[in-house]
Amino acid sequence: MKKRRVAITGVGLVTPVGNDVTTTWSALLEGRGGGAPISLFDASGFSTWIAAEVKDFRNALVTDRKLLKFTNRSHRFALEAAEQALIDAGIRPTEQDGHRWGCAVGAGMMTVDFGDLMETHKHSAPEGELDALRLLSDGPANDPIAFCRGQATEGLALLTRRHGIKGYATSVHTACASGGQALGTAMKLIRRGHVDRVLAGGFDSMISPIGIGGFCLLSALSTDNDTPQRASRPFDATRNGFLLGEGAGFLVLEEWDAARARGARIYAELAGDGNSLSSYRITDSPPDGDGPIQAMRQALADANATAADIDYINAHGTSTLMNDRSETAAIHAVFGESAKQVAVSSTKSTMGHLIAAAGAVEGVVCALAIARGEMPVNANLVERDTDCDLNLVTTAKRGRVRATLSNSFGFGGSNSCIVMRHPELVE
Amino acid sequence: MTKVVITGSGAVCAAGVAPADILASVLSGKTALRPIEQWDTTGWPTHIAGEIPNFNARTLVEDRKLHKLIRRTDLVGLYAAGRAIEASGIVAHRDSLPAEDAALYSDRSGVVVGSGGGNFENQYDYFPLLTTADGDVVTFGRELSNTVNPMWLLRTLPNNVLGHIGIKYGLKGTNACITNHSVGGLLAVIEANESLRNGEADRVVAVGHETPIEPQMVLYYHDVGLLASELLRPFDAARDGSQFGEGAGALVLETETSAASRGAKVIGEVLGGGYATEAEGLLAIRADGDGPERAIRQALEDSGVKAADVGMIVAHANGTRASDSSEAAAIKRVFGADIPPVTGFKWAFGHLIAAAGILEITVALAALEADVVPGIATLRELDPECAGLPVSAAAQKPRSKIVLVLCRGFAGTNAAVVIRGR
Repeated sequence: MKKRRVAITGVGLVTPVGNDVTTTWSALLEGRGGGAPISLFDASGFSTWIAAEVKDFRNALVTDRKLLKFTNRSHRFALEAAEQALIDAGIRPTEQDGHRWGCAVGAGMMTVDFGDLMETHKHSAPEGELDALRLLSDGPANDPIAFCRGQATEGLALLTRRHGIKGYATSVHTACASGGQALGTAMKLIRRGHVDRVLAGGFDSMISPIGIGGFCLLSALSTDNDTPQRASRPFDATRNGFLLGEGAGFLVLEEWDAARARGARIYAELAGDGNSLSSYRITDSPPDGDGPIQAMRQALADANATAADIDYINAHGTSTLMNDRSETAAIHAVFGESAKQVAVSSTKSTMGHLIAAAGAVEGVVCALAIARGEMPVNANLVERDTDCDLNLVTTAKRGRVRATLSNSFGFGGSNSCIVMRHPELVE
Repeated sequence: MTKVVITGSGAVCAAGVAPADILASVLSGKTALRPIEQWDTTGWPTHIAGEIPNFNARTLVEDRKLHKLIRRTDLVGLYAAGRAIEASGIVAHRDSLPAEDAALYSDRSGVVVGSGGGNFENQYDYFPLLTTADGDVVTFGRELSNTVNPMWLLRTLPNNVLGHIGIKYGLKGTNACITNHSVGGLLAVIEANESLRNGEADRVVAVGHETPIEPQMVLYYHDVGLLASELLRPFDAARDGSQFGEGAGALVLETETSAASRGAKVIGEVLGGGYATEAEGLLAIRADGDGPERAIRQALEDSGVKAADVGMIVAHANGTRASDSSEAAAIKRVFGADIPPVTGFKWAFGHLIAAAGILEITVALAALEADVVPGIATLRELDPECAGLPVSAAAQKPRSKIVLVLCRGFAGTNAAVVIRGR
């Protein structure tokens, strides 16, 4: 049986550096950072009070008020980015073929709204302990809309309902690897023949007192509060943690022949997926890159590609001490001599870390790199770390990008790696 | 196509700490649903659930250091996974291999978990801090590290079971954590099966776990009309909702070659799966059973099994009015006049949400081995809307060793898996 190939025919982005693809892309090429003091709440008491927020956002394309009533912030990003991707692809599920469409999303873990939590605290736990009897008259705890908004599958429910997607629909979460895992899952659904088209992506927003608080407690965030634009500096010797971002990235994936038959513009082939568990520690990979190495090798093999075929790596590159070192070791182990040639950048240097959305947004970045022949910069690289000797992109590069590799590694040890290929090299 | 066999199973819920125990409890005809003990339900509109009796973190997970890093749901997930892994012997076998072979074996061993997403009690860890802050978010930030467990975020991760199985057993292959409400556990089996078919791994541990019995969750489900006033009576004319249970189920799936090469005992075979979404929103489901019907048809086709060859059906049977009647309609349309014996297990230990489907497979395998289709003991009068469905309060005989397990979840999701037992 002929292997079904997967084409990327539409992309959509809502990121801290732009509420659409074009704006985001120019910021990524220029290295225009999205970091700033947090505006969503007064974060001045936290050890980190900067983040990369999505700015001036409104749902421009999705205006259905009944639907929006059931959304949290990350769902609104998701609806918008998904709409952009479908418009871009020029195709939508219909009453006739909705069951041949799938949906695979990486959804954020932070489901309870902080405002609701404060209200429940005030009403039902003023002394700090929940009084279950008081919960019976609690506002948010009896609000069905708050319930829906807080369900892990609400994002999936909103997307499938709005677009009439009736095939395989799934929500996944492996922390920072979620978005990559969603793309890999989506690709396999088309390969298996379960569906012909998939709306795939990721969305997240953790910029709340609990989200920021959770990362502050782990000392995972950069505390460079006075220089938010420089706080995220992956692979720099002075890096000291990541910059929390938020947003959404979506792609429309189609079975290759179906996309060709309708004359769709194809950004790239989604060619390979690799997946591994580091099984080392919950928060990081071992310094020698074990774990990420297997994921990258698998993704290359799955794409029927070799390291020498890859022109651009979008690194996980969180700007934490351990990740960037471990990832560098993994790239060297997999790429050997060609590690010197392959261009590498972490777009988290500009956008910050979008957690469950990161892998999907960075998947869009790779598709754009191939389609536009441009590679975004690894911003804020000033002092090279000898442990991170990679061919980092310091000013935006132009040139043919034959194939890309995108890494996403998550808390919990899941490693996801996605390989994409230039459409002209497919036929 | 690669044949995928089952070489180990594990389960824990209100009705027992192993699949055979749980089956025995179901066959006894007594429900394990009881008054909730985790909090005082005096004055509450609902007070029944399937809590695991004498819940003890140490008997579930021995390593006490781990207890600070994980939640109740992770304890049950790790317990079930551990029992399945031990029963299969995959790790013992790996450890008997020379180092290089063992490393490769680990890389070819995957883990797929169906897990609940967010919970509420975890967020309550911030209540003492909110009391200190008294509405002032600046004080909240300043006092954060004096009040909240520094590992709070790690305890919150929905993918903890995945990560900790990996670390404990050294499994390093393909993996996923599926946070897709009630179909998560069955999807874990479907995805594990597909990775084996596609050669991404040689063995995969599939797990589903969830502990939804917490005040705010129970209240929400009650408020939207999903919980029964007393017993859970699937397909009964008087049914009025579901009840929560808690627990986990786990299976070790292997390619037939991997199992045979180490002479493993095979307890079943995964034949295939199917999946469909109704796309009506988070809570709505179609009355006509469109979703479950498509999921069943796809599962049969994927398995290469004819409807007439199915020996028993373990229905979702959650006891809500809309789900049971639409599910019955779907089964009747697919199987016509020739429906195999149908049962459901939730009446006996509650609805385990993400753990439901996979735990029910472990019990179904035990039932097939005992050559019995357990009855639905709480069934008194079949709802006319479900007329023709071969369900019974008494036990029935399976007509073959093939079972179809169905699962339905929020967001209109439906999954079906076909398993061959012994």
